[in-house]
Amino acid sequence: MATRTAQLPTEAPALTPERPVTWPKRTKTRLSNGLEVILAESHAIPKFHGQLSFRSGNAAVVDRAPGLAEMTATVARTGTKQRVSRQIEEDLRRIGADLSSSAGADTTGIGFAGLSELADPLLGLVNELAREAAFPEPEFERERRQKLEEVKLDRTQPSFLASERLRKVLFGAHPYGIVAPSEAQVLGYKRTDLTQVYQEFYTPENALLVMVGDFDVPAMMRSIEKTFGAWAGKKPAPKATADPAQPKGRRVYLVHVPGAVQTQILAGCHAITRKHPDWIKIGLTNSLYGGAFNSRLVMNIREDKGYTYSPRSGVNPLRQYGYFSISAAVRNEVVAASLTEIFYELDKLRSVPVPEPELADARNYLSGIFSMGLATQDGLLSQLATVALNDLPDDYLETYREKVRALKPADLLGTARKYFDSANMQIVVVGDRTQIEDQAKLFGDLEVFDAQGNTL
Amino acid sequence: VNHHQIAMEYTTLSNGLKVVVVPDTSAPVVTVGLYYKIGFRLEPQGRSGFAHLFEHMMFQGSANAPKMQHIKLINSSGGLLNGSTHYDVTNYYESVPSNALDRVLWLEADRMRALKVDDENLRNQRDVVKEEVRVNVMNQPYGGFPWLDLPPVAFRNWANAHNFYGDFADLDAADLADVQAFFKTYYVPNNAVLLVLGDVKADEGVALAQKYFGDIPAGPLLPFADAREPEQKEERRGEVEEKFGTLPAMAIGYNIPERRTTDWCAMALLDQALHGGRAGRLYRELVLEKQIAVEADGGIDDIFGYNGPTQMVTRILHKPEYSAEKTLSAFDAVIGEIQEHGISEDELQQLKVKWRSDYYSTLEGGRGGMPRYGLMHLLACFTLFDNQPQLVNSILDGFLAVKRDEIQAVARKYLRPANRAIVFRAPAKVSAKEAA
Repeated sequence: MATRTAQLPTEAPALTPERPVTWPKRTKTRLSNGLEVILAESHAIPKFHGQLSFRSGNAAVVDRAPGLAEMTATVARTGTKQRVSRQIEEDLRRIGADLSSSAGADTTGIGFAGLSELADPLLGLVNELAREAAFPEPEFERERRQKLEEVKLDRTQPSFLASERLRKVLFGAHPYGIVAPSEAQVLGYKRTDLTQVYQEFYTPENALLVMVGDFDVPAMMRSIEKTFGAWAGKKPAPKATADPAQPKGRRVYLVHVPGAVQTQILAGCHAITRKHPDWIKIGLTNSLYGGAFNSRLVMNIREDKGYTYSPRSGVNPLRQYGYFSISAAVRNEVVAASLTEIFYELDKLRSVPVPEPELADARNYLSGIFSMGLATQDGLLSQLATVALNDLPDDYLETYREKVRALKPADLLGTARKYFDSANMQIVVVGDRTQIEDQAKLFGDLEVFDAQGNTL
Repeated sequence: VNHHQIAMEYTTLSNGLKVVVVPDTSAPVVTVGLYYKIGFRLEPQGRSGFAHLFEHMMFQGSANAPKMQHIKLINSSGGLLNGSTHYDVTNYYESVPSNALDRVLWLEADRMRALKVDDENLRNQRDVVKEEVRVNVMNQPYGGFPWLDLPPVAFRNWANAHNFYGDFADLDAADLADVQAFFKTYYVPNNAVLLVLGDVKADEGVALAQKYFGDIPAGPLLPFADAREPEQKEERRGEVEEKFGTLPAMAIGYNIPERRTTDWCAMALLDQALHGGRAGRLYRELVLEKQIAVEADGGIDDIFGYNGPTQMVTRILHKPEYSAEKTLSAFDAVIGEIQEHGISEDELQQLKVKWRSDYYSTLEGGRGGMPRYGLMHLLACFTLFDNQPQLVNSILDGFLAVKRDEIQAVARKYLRPANRAIVFRAPAKVSAKEAA
């Protein structure tokens, strides 16, 4: 031990009194065309961040083809009535802006950031992409070919293979059961599929515009009215969807990757959405289980046993349903040992009340990191967008911390028993079957697939 | 132009510890960083990967905060923490509600004063690091490409050319004596900078630094190994087999000018002309126009964060129907175009606006949910490399002063075959087919 003189306290200093967390003022408006607008000022740098979201994504059109909303968002930035692709990209650079367009299961979004002094031209371009995308045929063909290569590459990623299989197992025929198109489905995309999605999704009634940054709210609101005010369009009609699968009993799904030198474990079960009254309880229970560095799972299989580098658990809230999942990439020899510990920690949380000091630490953790989102423009933007897109109450940000701090050991015990469904956990392992099959099958009936999804 | 300015307090304690405080009371959050001027470039020979393994050991216990206490004390204060190993620095950083500032400084001082780890901790973290290497490199398509593939081809000095994540044999050979020797040599106050950014007053920040770190004795600073490279005379090439991926790939790295020179500023804008997203010439030509490549990106990684030989690297994944040579000649045509014609005044102006905008984002941006990481990183590197944290307020000027002919001149001077290295990473199956 290398000791240097120590004259300081040998105990960690106590926390000093807390300074209050003040969430910035938000201005919410709905334009006459239905566009919902939320603005907040944040002056740390002379820039702003924004997001134009549409409340429809890949799940809404999966019956036409998986990934269609994503493909629509990709091609939407490649040309408008006024600008060709190259012009769009150069104009963005000319005004120092970044822009992305993409779609998830439930939402399509155009994200953007730029210099405050050049806000108007950036808003103008976002408006063009949202209203006047031209979907040029050659750009569509190029992006489709590009997507084909991406889809092939995805199937070489252990984490992708794991989440694709888990979603299929948990959601079955429900649109959430498919996370990506097959190669044949990509080849089957037609340009008119995209323009149809564009017409249905990209409307002001279906949209939310959130902006955070170095601007004056009333002035920015006038710019937004001027830019987006004349836009018109209705919300797409809601669609009925199949019920998700409800898999019972622990089952194991092995995705065989010959030559894999490590095994990706991903286990999961159905849980809840952000709108559910138990959301904050499950958040805290998760943070204590495997959602923080200091959590039980990380302490166990990383810091004590050294099985893995980055174990974690999380609650994945899609709009209609949510699911809880646990992931760890472990060395091949300890697949069974890792799963044993994963279930040990789950069952312990379901059986024994969390000691009050440990719970107090977890409460402080979750309420503390929640306010970190205040400190950057895009952090605040993402908080505001999450609240609005999930129809959470207006005081969600202000009351979150006190709700976390009110939770008791009995709340966590009840939450773990209700949602950390150990007995019906679905277990995906991605790795070389010759190394791991015997270990994996100890945990339930086992099916084996290849990376393309075929049963072996 | 009156740019965005950062107000700071900069001082050096009597033991040589540099301290930078940047007050900002807009949120009750503070980010603390401890940067040591040692990274994987100058780790001991025969101990590849050691600087990074050592970084893990810094979370394994110190005199008054045994294993797990450090992490627990930060998390339970409502904070996040991490560390990372770079070429020339290693950092440890925390973001916490500002009422935990004393506690964070006490923890960082405790582990600077006395690391307390045992064989069990070392075995444990060696296992963790191996899984980190597997998940990021050995079990990933294009894992480590090109950041681990290119250096052994591009460089001749071991410092720049070795495996920074570590050969497993070297990780296995590392023992506790290595850990304590490395700690005593490099983890001394006179080889470090402490950064405190956020909800703190400047004089309070300095006083707290003095309180917690002031009595840690300075170490005898060892001379650092010479990381200079012998002059390169011809193009260098290498091959690596891709085990999982479906597309052939290549990476082309050019040695770049010495940092903080006029050429370096011009090179940075040239880099943006080539690699600046979808408007960049390489993406436009190879992906959008000629449609040879699926990905074409790269550039000078972490341009303010290194202090030794480095490269501007282009990373290309191309369609299998185009050969590597054909892809490379399409790349060369893009380079040749700039060498011959330079860039227009309009393009240069676009590059400068984007550079300024990106720079502001760097100053404001966080990392892993932790605010002010970007500003902290720049302040730390400018302090350790230049003894001038104030460079964050003036470094932009050099880039905004670059002229068109300077861009063309650096393209001609540095983007020569004899100044580059290329690594081809072809999928195993494709190589076998070509061989047959």
